[in-house]
Amino acid sequence: MHAKIGDKEILKGLDLELQKGKIHVIMGTNGAGKSTLSKAIVGHYDVEVTQGEIIYKGKNLLEMEPEERALEGVFLSFQNPVEIPGVNNAYFLRNALNAKEKHHGQKETNAAEFLKLMRKHIEQLGMKPDMISRALNDGFSGGEKKRNEILQMEILQPEVIILDEIDSGLDIDALKSVSEGINRMKNGERTFLVITHYSRILDYIHPDYVHILQDGKIVKTGGPELVKILEAEGYQAVQKDL
Amino acid sequence: MQAVTLSLADARHPLYERLSELGIPGNKTEQYKNFAIKPLLAKEYAFKEAKQVEPKEGSRVVIENGVVVESPKNVKISFEEDFKADEEHYDALYFMSHVLSKSVIRLEIDADAVVEIEHRISEKERLFAYRLCVTTPPNGRVEIMETFDIKESQNALLLYGVDAEVARDATLRWVRHENAEIDNAVVIGSHRYNVAKQGAIELKTFDFGSGLALHLYKIDLDNYAWTDAQHLLLATKEARRGNVVHINHNQPYAKSVHEARAILKDKATGIFDGKIMVGHEAKYSNAKQNSKAILLGEHAHMYAKPQLEIYTDELEASHGSTIGQLEEETLFYLRSRGVALDDAKKMLVLAFANTLIETLGEGEAFDKIHADFEAAYYV
Repeated sequence: MHAKIGDKEILKGLDLELQKGKIHVIMGTNGAGKSTLSKAIVGHYDVEVTQGEIIYKGKNLLEMEPEERALEGVFLSFQNPVEIPGVNNAYFLRNALNAKEKHHGQKETNAAEFLKLMRKHIEQLGMKPDMISRALNDGFSGGEKKRNEILQMEILQPEVIILDEIDSGLDIDALKSVSEGINRMKNGERTFLVITHYSRILDYIHPDYVHILQDGKIVKTGGPELVKILEAEGYQAVQKDL
Repeated sequence: MQAVTLSLADARHPLYERLSELGIPGNKTEQYKNFAIKPLLAKEYAFKEAKQVEPKEGSRVVIENGVVVESPKNVKISFEEDFKADEEHYDALYFMSHVLSKSVIRLEIDADAVVEIEHRISEKERLFAYRLCVTTPPNGRVEIMETFDIKESQNALLLYGVDAEVARDATLRWVRHENAEIDNAVVIGSHRYNVAKQGAIELKTFDFGSGLALHLYKIDLDNYAWTDAQHLLLATKEARRGNVVHINHNQPYAKSVHEARAILKDKATGIFDGKIMVGHEAKYSNAKQNSKAILLGEHAHMYAKPQLEIYTDELEASHGSTIGQLEEETLFYLRSRGVALDDAKKMLVLAFANTLIETLGEGEAFDKIHADFEAAYYV
């Protein structure tokens, strides 16, 4: 796949296959194209895919609107979730859940059931109960925003989960509870694409595959051992191999 | 407009003199220049003075075609021919509406009362001109909910206004709710709220729909008096609607918080012309003004003119204005969770509007205004 942002080509012939039920990690230097890849998958307006396709359940995601991709089970945990004053966190999330249920012909969760569900997940994630009544990400700390992304993920139950630097800016307690949330979602069916700069989150969620992205292409794929090599020798070790 | 015959005695009256000084508003008159007033005033309307009758007892004050037809027990209605209007008002139509109204409808309201005033216009192609005067009892709190039923008033012009006196230590909460359901009725309201020492006026206006409407306010604040003035506008189709507001801090420690929000769809035009004047005497004043507008229609327009005019050094003041579209990143975030584009837009617009609607607190007014907002949004 080739993709650009504005006039700048970022993804330059990227080829990647995600295995169902597996955890894939993408690592790479700044500007390698990691976030552009995640944005391209969810249909962000910044990214223009100029060549290639993204096939999911036999359909090309590039032909679908962002909300259709979400309803089909694609979820991106944003690196910097936007703050939306005035939109209540619970109201928004129930709307999103009901949209998904409607899309799949399921009975819509009513307000009482939803509140019960939200309270359960809030407690599991160690979030404050007032998260229900607060405006979406409005005035949230960095850690609260990341936990709120995981809360949305747990409630919406997507099938392909992209975590874009979910670990950045988290203290050790927050990292642990976010990782526990991710681990609760592992069921052998869900696929994870974890974008990270650091190996510390990988102490909690154990990847099946590690991919190195450089200059818009996957240049190396391996197992968890690749993380150790990167940690010890940096990206230069990968360069040497190429 | 149909000619009105004046006697020489009338012509010497201060209100006529002031009207003649200000002149009939036209396209160059500052407060009307975005409203297209000229064709409205050039039009022929049938006009006759309203003949007041004894109103029947009801649950609210109903003014039908300028005649008070219904009034509740806790409001005493009288008609005052020698009403002393505010000769310093900046708006010519304030004086014109006084001149055209034979008498002012005075509403004396009990302390702690909640009163609904409904304006009902049921005749087409006519000019209706009348004035209301409301006085709050000292130390009391009065709440007014003002509504309009003008759906049968095609091509009519309602030229009216309120003169309110808020007594010392009293609070007047005035909620004006206009839900314009037809495109060719016009409402022009020219008002004056005078707030005595330590008094307060909470002015909340909710204006939704199409057609033409402009409200012009002059709010005068005495020592320690304050106002919290909020306007929410949702204009649709080819509407031209808005507010011109002059808030005068005349004495020390006066406080004003002035906030306007507008959502403009289709080819609608919104007007916000707000000026807070802090006079020489008004030291230690606090004045805040903010105007925000969202343009949803490709051909929608917003004229925003927030102004502070300050004649003293010792005060706190701020003002700001933003006009824009819904943020793409915010819309994308909602869509990325499965919310359809139209629903995402509605969610953001409601959030924008709710900031003001929610200040009403839970109750009948909140429910009605919230429902009317949603209905107007989907037109």
